[in-house]
Amino acid sequence: MIKVGIPRSLLYYSYFPLWRAFFTEMGAEVVVSPETNKAILDAGLRSALDETCLPVKLFFGHVLALTGSVDYLLVPRLISVEPKAYICPKFMGLPDMLRARIPNLPPLIDVAVDFSRGTGNWENVLSSMGRLLAGDRRLIRQACRSAQAAQSLFQEQLEKGWLLPEALNGAAGERGTERPAPPSPGSGRLNIALLGHDYNIYDEYISMNLIKRLRSMGARVATADLVSQAVIDEQAGTLPKKLFWTLGKKMIGAAFAFCDSGQFDGIIYVSSFGCGPESLVGELLARWVKRRRGIPFMLLTIDEHSGAAGLVTRLEAFTDMLLRREKG
Amino acid sequence: MELYLGIDIGSVSTNLVMLDPLGEPYLAPLYLRTQGQPIAALQRGLAIIRDQLGKGDLVCGVGTTGSARQLAGVLVGADVVKNEISAHAVAALRILPEARTVIEIGGQDSKIIILRDGIVVDFAMNTVCAAGTGSFLDQQAFRLNIPIDEFGALAGQACTPVRIAGRCTVFAESDMVHKQQMGHTLPDIVAGLCEAMVRNYLNNVGKSKDVAPPIVFQGGVAANQGMRAAFEKALQAEVVVPRYYNVMGAYGAALLARDQTQRRAGTGFRGWQVSTMPFQQRSFECKACPNACEVIEIKQEREVLARWGDRCGRWGVTGAEADQAVQQH
Repeated sequence: MIKVGIPRSLLYYSYFPLWRAFFTEMGAEVVVSPETNKAILDAGLRSALDETCLPVKLFFGHVLALTGSVDYLLVPRLISVEPKAYICPKFMGLPDMLRARIPNLPPLIDVAVDFSRGTGNWENVLSSMGRLLAGDRRLIRQACRSAQAAQSLFQEQLEKGWLLPEALNGAAGERGTERPAPPSPGSGRLNIALLGHDYNIYDEYISMNLIKRLRSMGARVATADLVSQAVIDEQAGTLPKKLFWTLGKKMIGAAFAFCDSGQFDGIIYVSSFGCGPESLVGELLARWVKRRRGIPFMLLTIDEHSGAAGLVTRLEAFTDMLLRREKG
Repeated sequence: MELYLGIDIGSVSTNLVMLDPLGEPYLAPLYLRTQGQPIAALQRGLAIIRDQLGKGDLVCGVGTTGSARQLAGVLVGADVVKNEISAHAVAALRILPEARTVIEIGGQDSKIIILRDGIVVDFAMNTVCAAGTGSFLDQQAFRLNIPIDEFGALAGQACTPVRIAGRCTVFAESDMVHKQQMGHTLPDIVAGLCEAMVRNYLNNVGKSKDVAPPIVFQGGVAANQGMRAAFEKALQAEVVVPRYYNVMGAYGAALLARDQTQRRAGTGFRGWQVSTMPFQQRSFECKACPNACEVIEIKQEREVLARWGDRCGRWGVTGAEADQAVQQH
């Protein structure tokens, strides 16, 4: 059986259900790299160019964890997933960066994903991938259908309140199941909106267990995944100038929706050091959140240093502040 | 008398403040150098305080803060272990209840705390870069061969402070050398450096914060009159430096300990013998998974007081159970 490796990194967190269903249906075995650990991060840091950001370095680590044990490596050249908006330019260059830096790379499935002109779609992309694996037309068509069904189920689960890792690991169950209601907020409990790239906030290693830590401090955590694409587009559309970063738009749209809901005590924004789009999006967010509604906002920058002390100090001070505001 | 002890162990200094039940300092606050050995510094401080106490003096509450607050908390048996932001805010509000901004610059970090009606409503800390903190001033004073205590007064003699690039200390230093070789006077350069550091602080830590008076300036760097004057010039407002500016974290921790123990009677303070107890600290690399966490272990004789540093929590046990785990390990 052909083994297709998928690095547990970057857009794995957005498209894994699509890719897994497609390749499984095509008769391949899908192999995912292990969850991030020190060895994976170190390997990535050694291998990637210093100029890139932490998530890209980590991606290198996940690729290295798969090389040697898979026949193909799925690294789509992600340019754009919607008209007139783009994914980060570093994503676009991933296949080239890998080829330049890693010897003995398995063959890459690096089909370009570019829907910016409103023409391409996932079906075309998946079909090209299928042809690389030399599948026949009927099988490819069928695999495309299963893939898209899996992805829309995933989206549905997220909007129903399942957290992304739960939806990915199958805890969310079959279509249509509602997430069991979260425990009711007792006195002094906080509602915190956590914004940041999925590949940062859901990677327990580089986010230093941020979500768990917030929960243990008595906070209920909501992320941008709860907000539907329509609401995100509508909310982000209220900016005076159209934002052309897909991932940045998601965060701004979600932040505005959270502000308007009036249900949140604070917003935490996680940014990775060296991220170009985020250096602008973070600043936009901080200013607009303040202008629209004075919800406390905190920016957390994550980088290679693993010491959690700085993070804990900030989280403690932030939750302390929110609790005191509530009382006062 | 009933007393409350506040301990702040930071990267540069270890501070201890003893308060009476009214929240006033009972003994002269202690400001000691940590010198990379937080346990030794803490024990030294405790011994100094113990020797000054009278017969009827009793510690009724202990609070710790600073980057080694967890460590200090375990060693002394703290009732409150609080982050620096909250501790500094509590202390500033005690000194100036109407304060609306707290500027805190220490050895390695700087913070801004925005207060409204006595509540923290916003704050920021410097990120990875320690540019514009006390260590840099120390280093420049040394380079110019001026004792650090005279550095600030020198800035006061300036006629026309020169403009120095303050964004990065590496650039600031080469800029200072350049200006000095051009013939600018030392006071003008020192005053220029203070202004550059203030600019840098306001652009980074103070970015998009509502800095409103009354303003309290605390932390070790507040001793520098040049910095205070530069802040007043940049903000066009009076900047208040409290009397105990350099031990405000410990002061806040003591106040928090007092509030906590007055509400819930009884303290976990382990007594003055802590100052002479032999503690062993060691670290080891956990081999249970590829994360290879560096676990720190604090022992008192054979008893494990605490362990931390592990991501998964497997080492977060104490007592006999932990000893067994280590032996098996």
